[in-house]
Amino acid sequence: MKPLPILLLGWAGALYAVDFDRDVLPLLAAECLGCHNEELQTAGLVLDSRETMLKGGGRGAAIVPGEPDASLLLRAVRHDGELKMPPDGKLAEAEIQLLSDWIRDGATWGSGIAQPRGRHWSFASPERPEGPTVSDPGWVRTPVDEFILARLDREGIQPSPEAAKYTLIRRAYLDVIGLPPTPEQVGAFVKDDRPEAWSEVVERLLASRHFGERWGRRWLDQARYADSDGGSRDEPRHIWRYRDWVIDSLNRDQPFDQFVVEQVAGDLLDKPRTDQIIATGFNRNTLLQIEAGTDREQYRVEIVYDRVDTMGTVFLGLSVGCARCHDHKFDPISQEEHFGLFAFFNNTDDWDDSRPRFRQRSINNLHAVHAPLLEFGSPDEIARRDAIRAQIEALEDELAAYRKSAKPARDDPGLVERQHLIDRLVRAMPRIDSTMVMRELDEPRDTFVHLSGNFLNPGERVEPGVLAALHPFEGRENPNRLDLARWLVDRANPLTARVAVNRIWQEYFGLGIVETENDFGTQGSPPTHPELLDWLAVEFMERGWSRKAIHRLILNSAVYRQSSRVRAEIEERDPRNRLLARQNRLRLDAEIVRDVGLSVSGLLTPTIGGPGVYPPQPEKAMLASQIKKTWEPSEGEGRYRRGMYTFFWRVTPHPALMVFDRPDSTMACTRRTRSNTPLQALTLLNDTAFHEFYQAFAGRLLEVPEKDRIERAFELAVARQPDTREAAVVERLLANERDALHTKPAEAKLLAADGAKHPIEFAVWTSVARTLMNTDEFITRE
Amino acid sequence: MSLHSQNLLDRTRRHFFRDCGVGVGRIALASLLADSLPTAVRADVKPLAPVKPHFEPKAKSVIYLFMAGAPSQLDLFDEKPKLTELDGQPTPPSLMEGKRFAFMERMSAAKLFGSPWAFRSYGHSGTRVSDLLPHIASVIDEIAVIKSLRTENFNHAPAKIFAHTGSVIAGRPSLGAWLTYGLGSEANDLPGFVVLQSGPRGPRNGPVIWGSGFLPSTYQATPFMPGPEPIFNLASRPGVTHERQGRTLRAIRELNEMRLDKTGDREIATRIASYEMAYRMQTGGAELMDLADESDGTLEMYGAKPGEASFANNCLLARRLVERGVRCVQLYHTEWDHHQNLVKGHEKSAGEIDRPAAALIRDLKQRGLLDQTLVVWSGEFGRTPMAEGGLATIGRNHHIDAYTGWMAGGGVKGGQTIGATDELGFHIVEDEVHVHDLHATILHLMGLDHEKLTFRFQGREFRLTDVAGRVVEKVVA
Repeated sequence: MKPLPILLLGWAGALYAVDFDRDVLPLLAAECLGCHNEELQTAGLVLDSRETMLKGGGRGAAIVPGEPDASLLLRAVRHDGELKMPPDGKLAEAEIQLLSDWIRDGATWGSGIAQPRGRHWSFASPERPEGPTVSDPGWVRTPVDEFILARLDREGIQPSPEAAKYTLIRRAYLDVIGLPPTPEQVGAFVKDDRPEAWSEVVERLLASRHFGERWGRRWLDQARYADSDGGSRDEPRHIWRYRDWVIDSLNRDQPFDQFVVEQVAGDLLDKPRTDQIIATGFNRNTLLQIEAGTDREQYRVEIVYDRVDTMGTVFLGLSVGCARCHDHKFDPISQEEHFGLFAFFNNTDDWDDSRPRFRQRSINNLHAVHAPLLEFGSPDEIARRDAIRAQIEALEDELAAYRKSAKPARDDPGLVERQHLIDRLVRAMPRIDSTMVMRELDEPRDTFVHLSGNFLNPGERVEPGVLAALHPFEGRENPNRLDLARWLVDRANPLTARVAVNRIWQEYFGLGIVETENDFGTQGSPPTHPELLDWLAVEFMERGWSRKAIHRLILNSAVYRQSSRVRAEIEERDPRNRLLARQNRLRLDAEIVRDVGLSVSGLLTPTIGGPGVYPPQPEKAMLASQIKKTWEPSEGEGRYRRGMYTFFWRVTPHPALMVFDRPDSTMACTRRTRSNTPLQALTLLNDTAFHEFYQAFAGRLLEVPEKDRIERAFELAVARQPDTREAAVVERLLANERDALHTKPAEAKLLAADGAKHPIEFAVWTSVARTLMNTDEFITRE
Repeated sequence: MSLHSQNLLDRTRRHFFRDCGVGVGRIALASLLADSLPTAVRADVKPLAPVKPHFEPKAKSVIYLFMAGAPSQLDLFDEKPKLTELDGQPTPPSLMEGKRFAFMERMSAAKLFGSPWAFRSYGHSGTRVSDLLPHIASVIDEIAVIKSLRTENFNHAPAKIFAHTGSVIAGRPSLGAWLTYGLGSEANDLPGFVVLQSGPRGPRNGPVIWGSGFLPSTYQATPFMPGPEPIFNLASRPGVTHERQGRTLRAIRELNEMRLDKTGDREIATRIASYEMAYRMQTGGAELMDLADESDGTLEMYGAKPGEASFANNCLLARRLVERGVRCVQLYHTEWDHHQNLVKGHEKSAGEIDRPAAALIRDLKQRGLLDQTLVVWSGEFGRTPMAEGGLATIGRNHHIDAYTGWMAGGGVKGGQTIGATDELGFHIVEDEVHVHDLHATILHLMGLDHEKLTFRFQGREFRLTDVAGRVVEKVVA
């Protein structure tokens, strides 16, 4: 009996009063909020709450509760006057009546969240839209420009002029390879008036091996790559070959669909190649707790959760993890579906109760914790290593038993002899390089829903499965990770391509077309240029998932080449520059701050790949570690490698990287923050590594004739010549420093490089180098 | 990144300028029109300018004395005559049923272990405290002892992460990060959230437990190291005299101002302010660490010795930090993890913390700072009523079902005991205070509603207390 009266009431209600959540909100969402949302604030008007409606926009309040006829919103939708909304066609009479009734009844707001309803835009496959018509076809350099300009046209905003050539070339170098251009490269480009000069620079940069480093590093953020396990002891691990695989994949422009498949399931491909297995390190970058007494199953389960979350965030831009404890509150992801995804990752061979405990001995058995490993040694070598390892472990067990039973003195011959034998064996044991990879168990584990997300509380058994709200799963019976990987890059997947191109876009402009680059769900922000996003996504797939094709489209565009100068006249209308009427100035990434210092000072060792290195860091940086660790700064070339090769201890990361917002590798990071703090100033001013850069930079300057030095300093540091006021600042600093150091030559010795011929001059120019390398411009791409 | 975090970054930037007496708009405009940046962007800028709390706060700062490794509540605060009586007896099986422990295999044959220390009554409240903590006992009327704390994971690392971030998985923002995010800081030349460490080693997981997680990194703690250079790279290099640093900074500022004119990018104004703040920190930080201006009496009261890396020095530094407006000071003292040799171990650790912790309360009080400073003391969990190991090396295992912590100062009703455990100290029988509840209470005393202090990340509003937490009203004065 019960449902009927409720139904009737609902009907009756609809006859007499407007139900906001059911009737008005969907209308607003469908017709108004696309432009008048918090993000875009078109015409300064937001229509997502009663308050913002009352506040109104440039033309005043949008509504007057109780008075439909006096409400601007009503006049606009009735086309009653100059303002006619929505711009693409009048609403149906019934809809207008609905809005009118709602305002008449007081315009009360319901509980609903103001956002587009119906099928969420990102869950429908993208189709290539027609390019819009624009006011100035001459401005358009690549198809992306049409979409940007059409949107600016609608707002009546002119794009910015092109940036100066020296700005452009430094921008491109920093964006594409993360290294600054040399003054010679700048000079050649500035002089080159041929129309193809720019695209040649772009091609050269995309072909550079450093491209893979710059863009690989951002992928590694998403893969939460690090060189240690992040647990209580933060033990080191070998997985840098995965890092190098990422660099290589980008450099050879491996199609993105293959890139995804190999990382998610390279081990399950038919006769996988070594590199395809190395790629599965993506999912081995999880944290690990090997603390004695830990419930290993709990941590194995956490690792599987992390792999599911990471997959959702990185490939789909969805917060799948929200459905761990309950059905997703906003997006169509049920808890059962979450565990369907979980089931794909639940069959891997990870450290669990079947493995030996972690032992900290002269030879620890981290290998047993880190397995499965791909080892790079001959079968003979590996066999010999295993034999010796087994011998050592047996001896250690023996030794432990002997200590316990005989309680021997320190110099007990039995003790000493065994210890010596162990030491000898440890020295004789071949060291074999390895990398952590994924391996499927022969017997799959059963997966159950974890009630309230608690693995001790199993519910229904679930089979591997994907998200029904997205495209269909063309899997086989008993699908595995490989089927999941192929589903992720299926041409029909509405999310993967959009998410990927959006993340490329955000690196070039600071924010993505979808600002919430990790949330394309209903709670995410709507795209500022939806057609552009879809166009790029389709283009990406049709160009064989070529990432470089997308880079090329952006780099050659007019929107990318605009000046980044702030324009007062559009500041108020578009304070966050979401419409891209100019470029944005962006502070460089943590690693690139270092790379630029290395390049400008001429110290850079440009070697690509290999094990992590140890540039200088403050002496006490390892203090926070629970077990004592040392950091012996590398000497020679290892001291001057790019920032991305710095060995990354999760618990005690290199301070200069963290100060500049390198993510901490605990969770997938899809966009870095760009903070601006006093600790950054202290690092650049006082850190040993940077001091070495200043000295080397000064050394370079002293090689050019004195009259050219200031100019040269600016050319090297910021790829341009100083204006007269800037040169005057440096002149004054030079004069003051010379005066000061002539009276205190001892200070000069402390500042100049060891063995400098003229310590005072060297010290004076070190101060200049330090000044330029501390300017905002030095660590910013403009 | 979420929309929220972007707004937040913008907000922190705005805060930077709030105290300049010039709005951002005016600065931007001025920079476009004038030849140089308004001189207002020089001094008095705060990267973490104070934010209005949700309601009138009881306390302005928090000092959290974290006892890493987990002290034994049964040997410090939770007196159990019955346990003493049953010392050496087998554990009643009913206690062990369905329980999970670290080192499970060792626990099956465990015997009960009565505290080797005597307890006495102290203060007007008559609170019972063991002989290990005579100094803390002497200020017991300032303290609310909570005997009914409970946590969720029995391993150090995850339990520490939980105690600080409300999650057992690394990567969520810590209590101090939430506090500075919610409240900003009053400090002018120091970071808003500072960590001080003492003991033989760093706490497990290190920076993760004082990190900012998905909040902007501005809110993460700055660990201060002992000695004259508490922050990495705080000291200028040899040869860079104060004058030289000043000259260089002036040139940097002028070049930055010129660039600001050219580009109109407010971020450069923030950069200028960051450099000014860094310069002040160089003086402020060194001055903070220099205990020379403390009287002998004060040093004696804490047991502090200038230059040492001790809990005593850290307690004194904590007072100096809150005096200077720092929002949250987190002390970590290792090591309390006495599975073996608990008698010697606890004597040593308690001896290290007892006097300084009491001195901190007394000193804050005599300076009129105790009312506005919340002092919290706890480990990541407690220890079992059962023994581990033979008599010669006797110790206690990890225990998460009941342990003791305490709060004092700003907004806390002192001289009381909250919660109680059963006669063996195994289970809570009254007023359970879960870690989420403790967090909710700390935020409450600081003027923040734990359900409203949220941050949107990966499509969800996150908070320190996850989906739980309730303010422990009994704590509040």
